[in-house]
Amino acid sequence: MVYEYIAIFFLFGGFFFLVVGVLGLIRLPDVYTRMHALGKCDTLGTGMVLIGLMLLVRDVTNITKLILIMAMIITINPVVTHLIAKTAYNRGTPMVEGSYVINDYVASQRRRRKSQVDSKLSQEGGEKLK
Amino acid sequence: MINTVLYIIVIGQILFSLLAILRAYSGPTVLDRVVAMNVITTNVVIILLIFAFIDNSYYYIDVAFVFVLGSFIGTLCILKLLREGHII
Repeated sequence: MVYEYIAIFFLFGGFFFLVVGVLGLIRLPDVYTRMHALGKCDTLGTGMVLIGLMLLVRDVTNITKLILIMAMIITINPVVTHLIAKTAYNRGTPMVEGSYVINDYVASQRRRRKSQVDSKLSQEGGEKLK
Repeated sequence: MINTVLYIIVIGQILFSLLAILRAYSGPTVLDRVVAMNVITTNVVIILLIFAFIDNSYYYIDVAFVFVLGSFIGTLCILKLLREGHII
């Protein structure tokens, strides 16, 4: 029937994305790039496979449980990816050669401190910092 | 026809989980292993849900539910141990 064909499309699409994610895990050179491959491919692939199963099951209770599992995976997977990236950055895990980091947080803090010192000095009539 | 498709997907998931186990065995840092185990957990959840449909025994869905929660808490504990040196 039509439902089965749509379900087969979603199942094979999700399987394709899962396979691409695992190939990225094998092939890419770095912790950060491996995470970059998996954080997106795994979430999308799992969501598509679960949508395909929902089209096949056709029972209200089980469809509700599947929707709950899909929502949990869609929220949990990016959170875990973010935490792994933060841990890797804090531990100083080496990157692949040729890549660099722009730390916007430290730069904005430095800029704000400098502007505060400037405004204080201008109130007191002194010269500006360079 | 639909059962054939589901069996193909299950066998493919098992093969690619073996590839992810290869990465977890030979990962240079500990975070590579965490990422690989995360992938294997997701694959196990998908295999459980597909078997729940093939075998027509839907209590496997509850098992998958608990599995997702347990893997999330486990990964969280490992990352907290790596960042701070203690869990509690």
